[in-house]
Amino acid sequence: MNLTLRVWRQKNAQEKGRLETYQAHDINENMSFLEMLDVVNEDLIKKGVEPIHFDHDCREGICGACSLVINGIPHGGKKGCTTCELRMRNFKDGDTITVEPFRAKAFPVVRDLMVDRSALDRVIQAGGFVSINTGGAPDANAIPIRKDIADQAMDFAACIGCGACVAACKNASAMLFVSAKVSHLSLLPQGKVEREQRVRKMVAQMDIEGFGNCTNYYECEAVCPKEISIKSIARMNREFMRALVK
Amino acid sequence: MLKHELLVVGGGLAGLAAAVEGKERGLDVALVSKLHPVRSHSGAAQGGINAVLDESENCHDDSPERHAYDTIMGSDFLADQDAVKIMCDEAPNVIIEMEHAGCPFSRTGDGRIARKAFGCTDYARTCFGGSKTGHHLLQTLFGQAVKYQLTMYTEWVVTRLVVSGGRCHGVVCFDIESGEFVPIAATATMFATGGSGQVYSTNTTNALTSTGLGISLAYRAGVPIKDLEFVQFHPTGLYPSSILVTESCRGEGGQLINNMGERFMKNYVSEKVMELGPRDIVARSVQTEINAGRGFDNAFVHLDLRHLGEKKILEQLPGIRKLCITYAGIDPVFKPIPVWPSQHYTMGGIDTNEKTETEIIGFYAAGECACVSVHGANRLGGNSLLETIVFGRIGGSAIADYVPNADAPVESKLADAVRQEQSRFNQLVKGSGKENPYRIRDELSFVMMEKVGIFRNKQDMAMACARIKELKDHFSHIRPIQTNKSFNYDFLWVTEIEGNLDAAQIIAESALAREESRGAHFRTDFPTRLDDSWLKHTICEYTPDGPKLDYKPVKLGIFEPEERKY
Ligand SMILES: Cc1cc2nc3c(=O)[nH]c(=O)nc-3n(C[C@H](O)[C@H](O)[C@H](O)COP(=O)(O)OP(=O)(O)OC[C@H]3O[C@@H](n4cnc5c(N)ncnc54)[C@H](O)[C@@H]3O)c2cc1C
Ligand code: SF4
Ligand code: FES
Repeated sequence: MNLTLRVWRQKNAQEKGRLETYQAHDINENMSFLEMLDVVNEDLIKKGVEPIHFDHDCREGICGACSLVINGIPHGGKKGCTTCELRMRNFKDGDTITVEPFRAKAFPVVRDLMVDRSALDRVIQAGGFVSINTGGAPDANAIPIRKDIADQAMDFAACIGCGACVAACKNASAMLFVSAKVSHLSLLPQGKVEREQRVRKMVAQMDIEGFGNCTNYYECEAVCPKEISIKSIARMNREFMRALVK
Repeated sequence: MLKHELLVVGGGLAGLAAAVEGKERGLDVALVSKLHPVRSHSGAAQGGINAVLDESENCHDDSPERHAYDTIMGSDFLADQDAVKIMCDEAPNVIIEMEHAGCPFSRTGDGRIARKAFGCTDYARTCFGGSKTGHHLLQTLFGQAVKYQLTMYTEWVVTRLVVSGGRCHGVVCFDIESGEFVPIAATATMFATGGSGQVYSTNTTNALTSTGLGISLAYRAGVPIKDLEFVQFHPTGLYPSSILVTESCRGEGGQLINNMGERFMKNYVSEKVMELGPRDIVARSVQTEINAGRGFDNAFVHLDLRHLGEKKILEQLPGIRKLCITYAGIDPVFKPIPVWPSQHYTMGGIDTNEKTETEIIGFYAAGECACVSVHGANRLGGNSLLETIVFGRIGGSAIADYVPNADAPVESKLADAVRQEQSRFNQLVKGSGKENPYRIRDELSFVMMEKVGIFRNKQDMAMACARIKELKDHFSHIRPIQTNKSFNYDFLWVTEIEGNLDAAQIIAESALAREESRGAHFRTDFPTRLDDSWLKHTICEYTPDGPKLDYKPVKLGIFEPEERKY
């Protein structure tokens, strides 16, 4: 199939960017979206044009590197899929596709379609880990955890830190990302001990980084490639209230 | 100049484990990684991590010794037994510490850490976190690194290891964003740069970043490389993308079927073992079927899960089901999965002892880039994640013992190295001919797959060695690279391709010299294991005229070599 692409090009964080139009020829429907961009890039290199820069690595939906807004939707809108998992069979011959970076105040564009997501790291640094070795069991033993609780914690721990939830949110809130981590850790006995200070510190850091508030648009859940449930946000709000009254 | 006591290169599990240990021991630690740590390839590991936990339900008589025995048998007796023992003894501690740090492991009905069966053992001792074990471990260790406020230089690529007078002084990095070469002086440097699967880029489960660069940088700096001819092919890469279809599918009862509808593994191993034989043997069996015309499209066989039923597939293998639907457009509930053997793991690597020390003072290596050796000629599933954490930590601790009495790195050596890197860059920008580097990479991978793949023989490998020399020659005549400094991926890829050429050459030369079959190294012209002449490690050293091979003994002492039968 042949496609027209409108791609965001931007030299660096300071300079202004703009959409450029390129043609993609002879695209096979089994290619992934990133392989399609590889084909376009090969063509650009041949013509002496700087290739389009975009983040990627594993190309199997686990590393969280790929991050494109495709026709206005982070990761392109296929349920439970990252950009690298999106296949070209979801498009039609002759389509025009707009490709932009994840946009948020806290994610400055580094180049073209690459953004700096280190703000998410700093939120984790504020408390997204277990710092006390505890859990009520003697040190040398595994801590028994009910299977249903462990399964729930594991679902929340599936977050790959891609930041699509932020890019989808009108307020550029990182609530889904933060609440996934908070919920994962507070469900487990080893993470319970520090739950109040964790949620307080992570929320404070989220504000410092310039992420917005959650006003329940739920766009985040729809684009999350790991299908993290917005129930985590409700959970986290409860945790936060608890921390405040303590 | 940036300067640290411990500089870790690589943010995967091995690198993070070393860095966290160094921090716990009070060292000034920094970590350089070309990828953000949580994007490292360790995160792709699905299956699990082996450990004998004492409360095993269905295997009361399992023990770290049995784990060690299975590992050594699996290795076709090439593993160093002291290192294997350390790894298996440490395994339970690793699981418990990861659990205490918040890693979500899958649980049994009564709340204990669940275990499943992987290949080559009678015991269920593989712990797992759903189908995302590597992801959960990586996130957990990253949390620990962040807790210690580890200094991280991410999206910096190390392009040179600085060794002089038998000592390591640090590294030169290329900062992708600024396009500058940055020296980092270090009292101790540890490489945890991962595997080199991209040498077989046409058919590998490894990510794009798993190139031979780390191994090549060490090799060029004079560090010996051990046993690189042992390359693991996983029996079940998805056809044709080579995305891994985890061993758990066979652990749950998945069957390999040829185009005659036959469950062919019964022709290769005992009825008891079937699909759960060692990876080298199962991969060869699959390839034999395909070569004999009993595959589909002469390219793949079927991995059939249908008899497990929808419920079990949805519950036990949801990740695999999604992966098949996404990448192959088939639902394993209704259709068999097309699979072929794909390059998966680098058993050999930078030669280290059981403390992760190398021949070079102040230089250490751990994880897939290193060869301790715990995997010998064939790695067991679930042992690699274990190795990364165990030996990453041992390395961090050995370095903490070393640093207080060590000499400071010599900064002028680093300044020289930066100048050399800068002039290499300038030379590449000028260009030295018309050769296309990407074509060299593709051809290299094709040659390696064809001639130094699952089945090997003298004639093929001699041709491969000659071809690699030619490709190296072509590489010295490549077209000019892009001139921009910042985000110059062309420069980086050219650097990686040079690393791939080195790694490929070491693999091919070592394999050609080893005239026996052992584990993953199978020679049709020498089809048996020959302990009298070949129970020894290959050691490969750089010389300007090409690789120089030598050998050193395997550390035995616990289990006597015996025939490997399944
Ligand atoms: C698909 C797949 C599934 C697997 N499943 C399992 C399993 O179930 N169980 C198991 O035990 N094992 C499994 N393995 C193997 C295991 O995952 C790996 O061997 C292990 O994770 C390697 O970890 P590492 O820390 O050594 O390297 P990696 O995780 O690969 O990390 C390498 C790091 O080095 C950095 N780096 C490399 N070169 C440079 C450079 N020049 N400069 C700066 N930084 C650099 C990279 O950025 C990266 O951070 C699997 C492997 C694959 C590919
Ligand atoms: S919550 Fe989902 S969308 Fe947000 S960072 Fe995590 S995986 Fe990405
Ligand atoms: S490239 Fe790794 S998740 Fe898409």
